[in-house]
Amino acid sequence: MKTLHPLAWVSWAAAIVVALTTTRNPWLLALILTIVGLLLARLHRLAAAQPEAQIPAVQISVVRFGLLVVTTSAIFNVLMVHLGSHVLVTLPPAIPLLGGSLTLEALVYGALNGLVVAGLFATFSVLNRVLPVRAMLRLVPRAYYPAAVVMSIAVTFAPSALQQIQQVREAQAVRGHRMIGIRSWLPLLVPLLEGSLERSMQLAEAMMSRGFATGEAVRDRRPQLLMIAGIATWLAGWLVRLAWGQEAAGLALLAAGIALLVAGVWLAGRQHPYTVYRPDVWHRRDVLVIGASLLAASAYIVPWPGLDRTALFYYPYPTLVWPLLSPPILLASLGLAAPLLLPAAAA
Amino acid sequence: MNGQKLLSIITYGLTTGVGLVAFLYPFWLPALTQSSYQQQAHAGDSALMLTVLIGICLAVLLLEVQSQGISTKTVALLGVLVAINATLRFVEVAIPGPGGFSPIFPLIVLAGYIFGARFGFLLGVLTLLVSAILTGSAGPWLPYQMFTAGWVGLSAPLCRPLVRWLGGPGSKGEIAVLAIFGGYWGLLYGAIMNIWFWPYAAGSAQMYWQPGAGAWEALQRYLLFYVITSLVWDLARMVGNIALITIGGTAVLRVLRRFQLRFAFTYEPAPTGGAAPAGAAVSR
Repeated sequence: MKTLHPLAWVSWAAAIVVALTTTRNPWLLALILTIVGLLLARLHRLAAAQPEAQIPAVQISVVRFGLLVVTTSAIFNVLMVHLGSHVLVTLPPAIPLLGGSLTLEALVYGALNGLVVAGLFATFSVLNRVLPVRAMLRLVPRAYYPAAVVMSIAVTFAPSALQQIQQVREAQAVRGHRMIGIRSWLPLLVPLLEGSLERSMQLAEAMMSRGFATGEAVRDRRPQLLMIAGIATWLAGWLVRLAWGQEAAGLALLAAGIALLVAGVWLAGRQHPYTVYRPDVWHRRDVLVIGASLLAASAYIVPWPGLDRTALFYYPYPTLVWPLLSPPILLASLGLAAPLLLPAAAA
Repeated sequence: MNGQKLLSIITYGLTTGVGLVAFLYPFWLPALTQSSYQQQAHAGDSALMLTVLIGICLAVLLLEVQSQGISTKTVALLGVLVAINATLRFVEVAIPGPGGFSPIFPLIVLAGYIFGARFGFLLGVLTLLVSAILTGSAGPWLPYQMFTAGWVGLSAPLCRPLVRWLGGPGSKGEIAVLAIFGGYWGLLYGAIMNIWFWPYAAGSAQMYWQPGAGAWEALQRYLLFYVITSLVWDLARMVGNIALITIGGTAVLRVLRRFQLRFAFTYEPAPTGGAAPAGAAVSR
């Protein structure tokens, strides 16, 4: 399962983000959450089978986080939105903002919003599990080479930084230092900073003596001009779509903006020629996953002729109605389950 | 060179302006989308669109900042400081601190103040990015976090004129200014990050459904939401930043200044035909 190409995983996650953020239809949300949940469960089982020692990540339970978010946003929505016909309780109207009738409609819509956030969180925890840190660093475009170098130094140094923190803590503990309040941070921070700055100096000397140089300012202005034009075009496309409802023109402008930005990043990347050691291999399953994800995402944002997208915009107000079921969109969304079809042996 | 400078100013202005507009969308969007059903439908994907927009602005700003030429020394220094700061971010869970207090902001503020806006920006952005990668907490909120933390570092040098006016480096005024600056950002960071979550929590429904619900009403609701859910948490961050900078500011600034001096070694290519090694680092 981990043998999918990193870009295939990223496009799968991007498709889910597109789907989750554009719909509130309970049927579709349920389908997507089930897919992500099944993947997470499978990853859990795989992780239990072969425990790998990694950097001690602070893992937050996805289920617990999801429950918390769904409850919070349901309660908040009930208290804030006094619309809908199924009144549960009525608070005295004297209370500012909170006063009024509490409705079932508001409860449902709040819970749906919470489900979207929970789904986003679950999707990214799948992504964080399947992509090793190095694969993530390799996804940084070549234009950001200096930033990527900084990131890989940081990732390399992080375990030893953790060790250093522990050493400083132990050394201070021997002297009778205890973590009691905010003041106790100082005897930890200053030695830590001092030590790490010393280390960065050694590192800089070592890098320079090996001929690593990124000093010169970039003279080529075209990438920047392209990217500024890209932002402006993208913004124009979005506004055209939002404020004037010109669907086709807006989408064309959005696509043009993205194209300009990609061109800018590509052009800037040519200033940093470097090669990749042991590049990731593309398989047929990667192409399949990417294709299925693109198809699924396109059902949510592209106005295909003949596709009725009203089912996407589920809206419980003013009266709770049964959500529309759109078989084409549901069918397209099944494409998001493509990673589930991978043989378990691939892991 | 002048054209380059103009381009830089345009980039900073455009990305910050667009970023601000995008961050504040829950307040202006309802006014724009009250007219028809079709437009309401589009308002549904605006959360996605704005996350993409923030990501784009961040990418453009990052390219601008690094295109000015980052020296090897800066790369090494940044890398190590990011490692320390990102590690502190997940150690914070192990060492009790009050509420939303996080030890990462004081270092971003102080380093940005000493080493400049570009350094501060990179430290903020990369700290959040690296710690998200290390702890596996990347998500759609990450561009917002990176952008905001970048702003913290980017704006830190704004303290310099005020410090100069209050008595210059090393004075008590310097620490006071930086502590208040860090405190404000502690609160502001929380408020900005809440805006990301708010449309989901509040639901976009009442924003366009209630006739006449304008920006002011949205702001009122947001303030209520903020006070209920996160004010206490963010106040802890604010107090934590102020306390940490007040207590440790002098010591940390001294360390940073000393290394700024020590870091002034240069790289000299070997004279042609000489027997010296390919290059020599002259340190002082």
